[in-house]
Amino acid sequence: MRKISFTLVFALGLIGMANAQTYQNLWIPDTLSGTTFNLTIKDTIKQLRTGNQTITGGINNNFWGPTLFINKGDVVHMNVRNNLNDSTTIHWHGMHLPAVMDGGPHQVIPPGTLWQPYWEMKNQAGTYWYHPHLHEMSTEHMNKGIGGFMIVRDAEEAALAIPRTYGVDDIPLMLTSRRYNANNQFVSTNVAYGDYLLSNGTSNAQISLPKQFVRLRILNAEIERGYDLGFSDNRTFYIIANDGGLLNAPVSATRVKLMVGERVEILVNLGNDAVGAVLDLKAYNSGQAFGFPGGEPGKSGEFGSLLNNIDFPVLRINVAATNANAITSVPTTLVNNTYWTAADAAVSRTLTVTGGVPGPNSTPFAFDNKIFDLSYINKTLNLNAIEKWTITNSNVFGHTFHIHDVEFKIVARNGSATAVGTHESGWKDVLYLPRSESATFVARFDDYADPIHPFMYHCHFSNHEDGGMMGQFVVNGTTGINNNKEKISFTIFPNPVKEKLFLSLADTKNSVYYITIFNLSGRALMMLPQPEIQKGIDISLLAKGTYLLQLMDKETKSISIQKFIKE
Amino acid sequence: MIRVLKVIFILFVWSSFGFKGKPYKETKHVGKSISDFSLLNIDRTHISFKTYPNAKGFIIVFTCNHCPFAKLYPERLNALNLKYSSLGVPLLAINSMDTAVYEEESFDLMRAKAMREKTNFPYLYDVTQSVGKSFGADHTPHAFILWKENEQWIIKYAGAIDDNGEHPELANSFIENTLTELLANKAISNPETASFGCRIYYRK
Repeated sequence: MRKISFTLVFALGLIGMANAQTYQNLWIPDTLSGTTFNLTIKDTIKQLRTGNQTITGGINNNFWGPTLFINKGDVVHMNVRNNLNDSTTIHWHGMHLPAVMDGGPHQVIPPGTLWQPYWEMKNQAGTYWYHPHLHEMSTEHMNKGIGGFMIVRDAEEAALAIPRTYGVDDIPLMLTSRRYNANNQFVSTNVAYGDYLLSNGTSNAQISLPKQFVRLRILNAEIERGYDLGFSDNRTFYIIANDGGLLNAPVSATRVKLMVGERVEILVNLGNDAVGAVLDLKAYNSGQAFGFPGGEPGKSGEFGSLLNNIDFPVLRINVAATNANAITSVPTTLVNNTYWTAADAAVSRTLTVTGGVPGPNSTPFAFDNKIFDLSYINKTLNLNAIEKWTITNSNVFGHTFHIHDVEFKIVARNGSATAVGTHESGWKDVLYLPRSESATFVARFDDYADPIHPFMYHCHFSNHEDGGMMGQFVVNGTTGINNNKEKISFTIFPNPVKEKLFLSLADTKNSVYYITIFNLSGRALMMLPQPEIQKGIDISLLAKGTYLLQLMDKETKSISIQKFIKE
Repeated sequence: MIRVLKVIFILFVWSSFGFKGKPYKETKHVGKSISDFSLLNIDRTHISFKTYPNAKGFIIVFTCNHCPFAKLYPERLNALNLKYSSLGVPLLAINSMDTAVYEEESFDLMRAKAMREKTNFPYLYDVTQSVGKSFGADHTPHAFILWKENEQWIIKYAGAIDDNGEHPELANSFIENTLTELLANKAISNPETASFGCRIYYRK
C-alpha cells in the first residue's frame, strides 16, 4: 500500500511538473560578420526568474554575446572594449593565432580599455567560441554570462549539402546552468554546478525547426557539468564536426558526451516527423560512472545540484513545415582531413593530474604538482614541432583538458588507439579525461613563435583552472637578430593628431610588439598587440587632450614613451 | 553492514569531493556603530551627520554612475528622500567606487548624473573609499539605515533597497518597511538582506 501511494504521489507530481512547464523560445544570438568586430563587455541585468532581475554580464547583450561569422583566410580585427568595473580578458577558444592575440590570462584588459587584437583566420570551418580567461576570475566572469560563438566558414564546408541557414536549420546551442540565491542572483563561489539550465540563456527553451535535416552546433559552456546528449525517442543523429571542424565522414550515434569547453555539430532528421510533433534533446546524465561531472548524487552544496544524476531536457523541438531548399539527406563524406599520427611526433611529453584529494591537507588540482604561476613557463616547444602529449588522470575525478594555439588529434586513450571514440575522431582542442584514464594527442605547433607571450593548457572546469590546474608554454622559433639594447627611438606624426597617428622608427631593425595608449593619469585606454603601424593607429575615439604612447620592442622588450596631443 | 558503510563512504567522497574555493565573506553589518565623516557633495559643500542636527536617522545608499542596476533607482531614491527627510530621516547617496580604475565614476560625471536625474539628496564623493569601507558596502546599490542611539549612529538595516530593480510597482521596499518599524518603535523584522549589483572594489 505504501508503495502504491508513493507511486501515485510521484506520478501526480510528474503530471504537475509537466503542466507547470512553460516553454520559452530559444534565444538565437544576433550575428556580426565581416572583418572588424566591435565587442563591448558590460555589466548588465536580465529578467531570468519571477521577481528581481539577475545581475548578468554580456557582450553587446544582456547575457552572452553575438555570434561572429568569419571566413577562413580573412584578417579579423577585434575591438574589445571592457566596460565591466573589473579587469578581464577575452580568449578566442580554438583559434590558431599569435600568443599575444590569444586573450589568455596575460592579455588583461583593464576597465574602460579598448583591446585590439587581430589575426589571420587559419582555422577551418567550425564552431568556436570566445570567453573570459582572467586567472582566478574565469568562473566569476563566465558565470555572469560573458562569452559568445564564433562560426568559421570556408569553401569546403560551403560546398557540402548540409544545413547552413543560421537560426533556421543551423542552430547554435550553448548549454550552461546557474544556481540562484534568494534574491535571484547568480551564485559564483563554491558552486561547481548550477541548478537551472540555461540554453543560450533561455530557461525551458523550445524552438520550432523545419521538417527536414537540421544542424545543431552545441557548446558546453558549464563550470563542470558534462552532458550525455541524445533525443527523447533515442533516434539516430549524425556527428559531423568536433571542436576544430568537420569530420571526414558523419558518425552516427544515439548519444554523445559533451564535456566543458567542447563543441559538437550534429545533424538530426526531422523529415519523418509530423508537423506539430515534439521531440526533446535531453541530457541523459543519470547513472553515469563515478567521476562524470554532474553525476554526483547531492542536490545542494558545492558539488550537488538539482540537475545532478538525472535526465533532463535541454531543448524542446517543435516540428514545423519543411523549408524551401531543405536538406533531406546526410552526406556520406564531408572533408579530407590529414591528421597527425603518433608516428609523426618527434617529441613526447607527459602530464599527470595531481591534487584535489579531499581531506584536511587538500591541495588544489594541478598538473605535475605545480600550481599555475603566471611568471613560470612550464614547457618550451620548438616552432613546427609535432608533439605527442599524454595526460594521465589517476586521480579522484574527471576533467577536461584544453590547450591553446592548436587543434589536436586524439591518438590514444589508455594507450590504445582503438579506444578513441569515433565521436571524437576529428580535430579537437578539448578532450574529456575520465577518472583513472589517460589520453594522448598529437599536434603541430606551427606558424606562431613567441618567446615572451605563452599559451595556456588547463582543465576547462573553470573552478579547477582558477584554482591553478593550468600551465603555460612558449613556442620558440628563429627570430631576427637585434642586439640593440637601447630604447627604441621613434617619432609620432602628425602631432597634434585628429584621427590617425603614424610612427616613424629611427632604427628599422626594431619591431613594435605592443603599443599602449595612456591618459595623463595613467589609465590605459587602448592596447594594441603587434600593431600594423604602417596602416596608422585610429585614435579618433579619444577625447581631446594629451596622451602617452608606450611602445614595446619585440626583441628587447624595452619600453619607450612619447607624448601626443589629440585635437 | 560493510556494504552500507561503503555506500556511505562513497557518498561522502562524492559530496565532499575536490578542492574548496575561498568561501564568500558574509559581512554582518547590523548593530555596527558608524563614525561621522565629512564628504564632498556634488554642490562642492561638505556633508556630515552634523549637517543634520535634527536627524533621527539616515538612509545611506552606496551607489555609482555606471552600474546598470544602480541606474534603476534614482526616482525611488528621490521619493524616499522626499518622504523620509521630513520625518527626520534624510537620504545620503555615496559613491565609493575606485575612480582611479573606473573613469565613469569621476566627480564631474557624478555632478552630471545628479543634474540629469534632478537628484533631491546629496551625492557624496568618497574619494578615499574610507566611508565605504567603514560601512562594509559591497555593491551598488547597497542601502543602510542608521539610527541615533545614545549619541551614536547604529546600523539598523543593511542590504538591498527593495526586491525588484526593473519593476518598482512590484517591489517590496525593505527601506520603507524598516523605517515604518523604526519610526513606530517596533522591532525590525528584516534587518539584513543581500546587496547585489556592481561590486565595489577597494584599493588595498
